[in-house]
Amino acid sequence: MSKKGEGRSLGQYALLRIAQALPLIIAIIIINFLLINLAPGDPVTALIGEFPVPQEYVEEMRANFGLDQNIAVRLVRYLGNVLRGDLGFSFNYRVPVLDLVLNRLGRTIILMISAITFASIVGISLGVAAAKWRNSFIDNFAVAFATIGYSIPVFWSGQILILIFAIWLGWLPSGGLQSIRGDYFGWALIVDRARHMILPMLALSLRYMALTTRLTRSSLLETLNSDFILAAKSRGVKSRGILWNHGLRNAAMPIITVVGFHFTFMVAGSALVETVFGWPGIGRLLYTSITARDFPVLLGILLVVSVAVILVTLITDLLYAFVDPRVTYD
Amino acid sequence: MKKFKFGTIFVLALVFVVAFGLSPVRAESPSEGGDLVVALGEDPEHLNPALTTGYPVAAATANVYSALTWRSEDGEAQPDLAKSWDVSDDYLEYTFYLQEDVRWHDGEAFTSADVKFSMEELLANYHGRFQDVAEKIADIETPDDYTVVITLEEPYAPFLSSMTVFDAPILPRHLLEDVDDYGDADITTSPVGTGPFQFVEWERGDRIVLERYDDYHGQVAYMDRLYYNILPDTASRTAALETGEVDYIMGHYFPRADIPRFRENPDIEVWQGTRIPALWFAFVNHEHPELGDPLVRQALMHATDRDLIIELSQEGLGNYKIGPMGASFDFVDFPETNYENLYPYNPDRARELLDEAGVDSLDIEIIVDPAREDLMQAAEIMQDNFRQIDVNLSIDTQEREVMIENVYEKRNYDLSMQSFTSGGDPASGYHRLYTTQDFGTPFVSATGYSKEEVDELLSEAASTPDVEERKAVYEEALNIIAQDVPILALYEEESVDVNNAKLRGLRESLDVRDKLNKIWWSE
Repeated sequence: MSKKGEGRSLGQYALLRIAQALPLIIAIIIINFLLINLAPGDPVTALIGEFPVPQEYVEEMRANFGLDQNIAVRLVRYLGNVLRGDLGFSFNYRVPVLDLVLNRLGRTIILMISAITFASIVGISLGVAAAKWRNSFIDNFAVAFATIGYSIPVFWSGQILILIFAIWLGWLPSGGLQSIRGDYFGWALIVDRARHMILPMLALSLRYMALTTRLTRSSLLETLNSDFILAAKSRGVKSRGILWNHGLRNAAMPIITVVGFHFTFMVAGSALVETVFGWPGIGRLLYTSITARDFPVLLGILLVVSVAVILVTLITDLLYAFVDPRVTYD
Repeated sequence: MKKFKFGTIFVLALVFVVAFGLSPVRAESPSEGGDLVVALGEDPEHLNPALTTGYPVAAATANVYSALTWRSEDGEAQPDLAKSWDVSDDYLEYTFYLQEDVRWHDGEAFTSADVKFSMEELLANYHGRFQDVAEKIADIETPDDYTVVITLEEPYAPFLSSMTVFDAPILPRHLLEDVDDYGDADITTSPVGTGPFQFVEWERGDRIVLERYDDYHGQVAYMDRLYYNILPDTASRTAALETGEVDYIMGHYFPRADIPRFRENPDIEVWQGTRIPALWFAFVNHEHPELGDPLVRQALMHATDRDLIIELSQEGLGNYKIGPMGASFDFVDFPETNYENLYPYNPDRARELLDEAGVDSLDIEIIVDPAREDLMQAAEIMQDNFRQIDVNLSIDTQEREVMIENVYEKRNYDLSMQSFTSGGDPASGYHRLYTTQDFGTPFVSATGYSKEEVDELLSEAASTPDVEERKAVYEEALNIIAQDVPILALYEEESVDVNNAKLRGLRESLDVRDKLNKIWWSE
C-alpha cells in the first residue's frame, strides 16, 4: 500500500480545518441573527398571555430583553457576548441559553448516537448478508425493507410504534424522558430512561437503517465484483476474509460518508421524533422557540448545531484516512 | 377433613360478606394517597401567574398559589384566603377578613400586606385580566394583619368573581419587595405560594412536580403528588391517557375528533359542559370599504352555516343560537338579539342584502392560525358558504405571532378567526369585543368598531351589581350591537374533559384547573 503523502500531519490538518470554520461560524451567526430578527412576530406578545396589559409593561419587557435597541447595536452586542461565551438569557424559559441548549443537546445526542449505532449495526449486517447471499430470501427482504423503511415518515412510524408497543402490548412507555410518577436514582434511573428511549430510538433509526442497508449492499456488491477480489480469490483467501477484509473495508468509504451525513440530517428528524415522543431534546426546543419567538435560544441552537455539524464533518474526513491510506491531507 | 372444609367455607363466606358489605361505602369515601398526572400541551413560559394570563402558566400554578376567593361550580365566590367579607350597601367598599395562621410554603406568615402588595405592585402593572379591576380600585387599606379594605371608584359587578387565583393570585411580598425585575426573580421559576400543593421541581420540556402542603389552610390535598406532564403532541397525549401514564386531560389539550374513541373506553370518563363560556368568532376589519357596511356584515352572517361548523369542527359540541355575547350568561341572552333569530343561515337573504348594499362580488381574505384546527375547519366551511353569494374568501394561514402582528398591531386584514374566553363574566372577557379600542392593542377588538353609546352602556353594565338592572342595560346595548354586527359571532363552545374513570372529586371549581386538592382515587 502507498505511504502517507508528504503533506500535513493529521493534527495540522484538523487545526487548519477548524481555523477555516471560524469565519463560517461568524457568518452563520450574522445571517441567523438578521433572519430571525427581521422575521415577523414579536416575542413580547407570546409572554403577556391572552388579555391586554398596560403599555408600560410591554415597554419594560422590551427594554429588559434589549429589544428597544437598534438591530445593528444588538448584533454587535450579541457577537461580543458570544465571543465571551455568553449566549444570552432565554425570554421564554428564564434561564441562561447555554445551559438550556447544552442540557437539551445532550439528550438529543444520546438519542442520535444510539439511533445511528443501532441503524449502522443492523443496516450494515443486513446489507452484508444481502450482498453475500444475493437474490436469496434475505436479499429480497433487505431490499424491500430498505425501500419501505426509507419511505415511511418518522411521525407516522412513531405513532405506529406507540400504538403497538405502548397501547396494545403495554411493554414500553408511550413517551417522555422518564416515568412521570415517582423519582428514580442510580441504576433504576438509567433503566427507566433507557426504557423511555427505546421507541424514539427505533423511530429515528428506521430511515437510516434502511438507507445504510441499501448502501452497504450496493457498495459491497460493486466491490465484490472488482478485479482485486478475483485476485484474492485466486490467491486462495477464504471467503469470509474476502468479504470482511477486502470487500467491506473497500466498500466502507461511501458508508462512512453517509453515516456522517446522517448526523446532520438527524437534527431535523429529531424535532419530529422528539415531538411525537415528548422527548425534551434540542429538536423540540427549536420548535417551541420558533413559536415563542425566543430569539436568544433560537440563535443559540443554530450556533451550537452549526458547530456540531462542522465537527462531525471534520471527524468524518479524518476517518477517511483511517479507512483509506491513499487519502492525504494536502 | 370435613370439619376443616366447613371451617374454610365459613371463613371465606365471612370475608365475602365483609368485603362486599363494606366496599361500596369504602369506594365512595375520599381516600388519601396516590399521585395525579395532568397533561399539559406546552411548557409554561415561567411559573409566575401575576405576570401573564397565558393558559399553561395558570394551569401549572393554580394549585400552588391561592387568592382571596375561589369560585365553585355554580360560579359563586367561596372563601379562600379570605374567610369572609362584607360589602357596603353602595357596593363601593369590600372588607375581607383573612384566614389567620396561613403560612407561605417557605414558612413565613401570610398577612394583609401580601394582598396589598400583590394587587398594587404586581397585578395592576402586569396582569392582563386585572386591568379592569385595577381601574376601578380607589384605595386598598390594611387596618391590621388580617383585614383588607378595598374601596372602589364606582361599583364593579364582577368584582368578587375577579378575586380568584386566575384573576388575582396573591404572591409573597417578602420574596418580591426587593426585586428589581420580577421576570428574573427566583420565585418566577420556583414558586412559593399558600396553595394546597408546593413546588418541588420543573424539568423543562418534561414535567412539573408538586407535592402536598400539609399546613394548607383549606382541605389538605388527598394526593401525595401532582405532576404536570408536558406532552406537545396531541396524539401522544391521547395515547398517554389510554396507557394510564396520564390521568387527566383538560379539553384545551385534545382534539375533538378523539371524543368518540374515549367514549368507547370504559377506563376513561368523558365530561362535557360549559363552565367558563368562550366565544368563537371572526373579526371583521371595518376599515375595509365594503366590510365597513353593516349590511354586508349582516349578509355574511346569513351566509354562514354555524350549525354545520359546530357539527364538523367541534363534534357537535357548541351552541350557535347565541347573541353578540353568547347565551350562557342569562343576563345577556335575549330573543331579539339572538343571531339565530336575526340572521339565520339563508344564502338567498344574504345575496339580497349584498345587492341592497350595492356589492356585486367581493374578494376577501381570512387570517387563521394553522395550529388551530377548529378555526381552520370553520374558515374552510365559510369559504364554501360564501362562494354561494359570490364572495370569494381566500384563507391566509399565519402563525400566531404573525397573526397578532397583522390583525391587532397593524390591522392589516379583512377577516380573522379567533376565540375569546369570557373570563367568567361578560364584563371581564366579552366587553373588549365591542368597546372602542386603541389601535395596536393585542387581545381586544381589532375591528375599529366604535360607538359612544355602546361604550357608555357597557361601562354602566359593568358597574351595575344588581342582576335585573344589569340585564336591562345589556338589553339596550345588545340591541344596538346586534344590528351593527361588529364581528361574526359563530358559537359558544362546550368544554370536554377526559380523565381516568377511577378519579373522584374533579371539577369542583368553576375553572377546572384549580382545587385539584379535592381529587382522590376511588381505589
